[in-house]
Amino acid sequence: MSVPHISAFYFGSIALVLIGLYAILVKKNILKMLIGLSIMETGVNLLLVSIGYISGRSAPILSEGIGPNQAVDPIPQALVLTAIVIGVATTAMALSAVIVLYKRYGTLNVEEIRRLRG
Amino acid sequence: MNGQYASLLIALPLLGAFFVPLIKGLGKKAIKTYVLIITAIQTGIAAWVFQEVYSTGKPIIVIAGGWKPPVGINLYLGYFASLFVLIVALASFLMAVFNFKAVDVEPIDKYAMLFLLLMLGATGMIATGDIFNLFVFMEITAITAYALTAYNKTGEAAEASLKYMILGGIGSSFFLIGVALIYGATGTLNMAQIAQLAGHINPTVAQVGLALIIFGLAVEAELFPLNAWAPDAYQASPHPVTAMFSAFVVKAGLYAMARVLYLMSSVGTWHNVLKLLVVMATLTVVVAEFSALRQRNVKRMIAYSSISQVGLIALAFALGTQAGVDAGVFQMINHAIIKVLLFLGVGYVAIQLGGAEIENFRGLGKRMPVTAFGITVGAFAAVGIPLFNIFWSKLRIILATLQVGYTWAAFLVLGASVVEAVYYFRLIHTIWFEGEGERISESIPLVAIVVALVILVIAIGIYPNYLWSISQKAGSDIFNVAQYIKNVPLMGVGA
Repeated sequence: MSVPHISAFYFGSIALVLIGLYAILVKKNILKMLIGLSIMETGVNLLLVSIGYISGRSAPILSEGIGPNQAVDPIPQALVLTAIVIGVATTAMALSAVIVLYKRYGTLNVEEIRRLRG
Repeated sequence: MNGQYASLLIALPLLGAFFVPLIKGLGKKAIKTYVLIITAIQTGIAAWVFQEVYSTGKPIIVIAGGWKPPVGINLYLGYFASLFVLIVALASFLMAVFNFKAVDVEPIDKYAMLFLLLMLGATGMIATGDIFNLFVFMEITAITAYALTAYNKTGEAAEASLKYMILGGIGSSFFLIGVALIYGATGTLNMAQIAQLAGHINPTVAQVGLALIIFGLAVEAELFPLNAWAPDAYQASPHPVTAMFSAFVVKAGLYAMARVLYLMSSVGTWHNVLKLLVVMATLTVVVAEFSALRQRNVKRMIAYSSISQVGLIALAFALGTQAGVDAGVFQMINHAIIKVLLFLGVGYVAIQLGGAEIENFRGLGKRMPVTAFGITVGAFAAVGIPLFNIFWSKLRIILATLQVGYTWAAFLVLGASVVEAVYYFRLIHTIWFEGEGERISESIPLVAIVVALVILVIAIGIYPNYLWSISQKAGSDIFNVAQYIKNVPLMGVGA
């Protein structure tokens, strides 16, 4: 089984973070900004998993033929599991705020949503 | 008593929040009373922990599930954490009293749950000894804060909440990248073990990881480029929640920042990060004070004032000396007292008179004399006038700044205090010397809280030494990392 070199994972995940950040900074539509936020979170999660990856080892489920020495680092996977749930909760929360915002303002353009200022 | 009972500080608000839906049918008043009782018990436990830690001089280490650190997660209730857990619980308790007057929007059961979870998140952030656990508690705090900001369901509330969520989302992603880098370099998530290994990791990796973590926490801690959400959130959220944000959510972020910063103090490139933080903190103070100057909404004005005080605390923590950290802790305590007083007063006025615009404050001295008096004392103290508490902490921070040699920072911060005096005295003038009005009867529990806080402010202002010695102990808890490592019973696993 040929596995890409580990730096491809790092490069890909950081690229996802940057794409997400770009979307948040540049897009005018709030929903697109939230999509950017989700992409960024995905990138972070992928980075976390790839940090725990040890070349050539299998999933850290101890069973016949797979001992502790043949498994990848299990800790980042626990972290990512938590971070994914947190990301989903934040997104759900943000989407419900977007619904309220659209009902009250009638627009999702960040340049027009400026009632609080000063 | 066994120190492991201190884990109730986390368990009680969590259980309390889970039981709210069960008593939902009993009505509004019952739910508010329930929150009041839970926060009162929490205050009792926190007071016990505080007394225990300060009388024995040893930190309470709660070991989760019997797995010794660094394998398991531990809570570290040292001098600092026990003090601030008490402040968090007390502020929540006072705001639970305020809830009776201040929160009429439905659904109250969800409000009660979020209120308890906010208290839980801040307590956890302060108590935890594990860096990923810190992230989880930070997210609990942040997500409840987002929801509570949007609680009033007006367009403004949703707008403020969305700004907060997007900034907070970026911040927490960066924090997590920082955690990933540090985990990749050290192979551990336990703070004590990270501190132990910090000297041996690649300084560039450590610097980038630390900077990312600081950047992520700066969103919660309202430092300059990342604090645009704060005035909006303060203005749009329910009044008790505003006071909680200012009294402890920010403090939890600042504390976490200071803790992580000093853990890594043996890293070679540490001073670069400190310099960055000094610049950010000074800018926070200056920008916030000038923004406060042109506000018409008093709640927003005090929000900016709160941000500037937080900048002062961050400046003190960024100095990298014992004196600075002590002064920062002292300012954190004083600021928590003052901001509970001010936001309680202003929130109460906004409820009675329908809005926190400055026009409503005309003639307040004649209409609501006790509340007006409370706001006045809070304003005097915030400016830093002698005989009030913040005078002492501001003085200590300025002195510590000069000691390190940042004359420009001390100069800018002092200059900003003059600006602060201008807008607070304008408010006081509007309250006492303008407008006429009928007397409005004030609610007795709230007036009692205001008077008690005023007495506390003046008492600390006249006798600062007791609190100063507590702050010194709490400060050494953050600054003395070697002692911190020694206190946590590491099993000697891993690298």
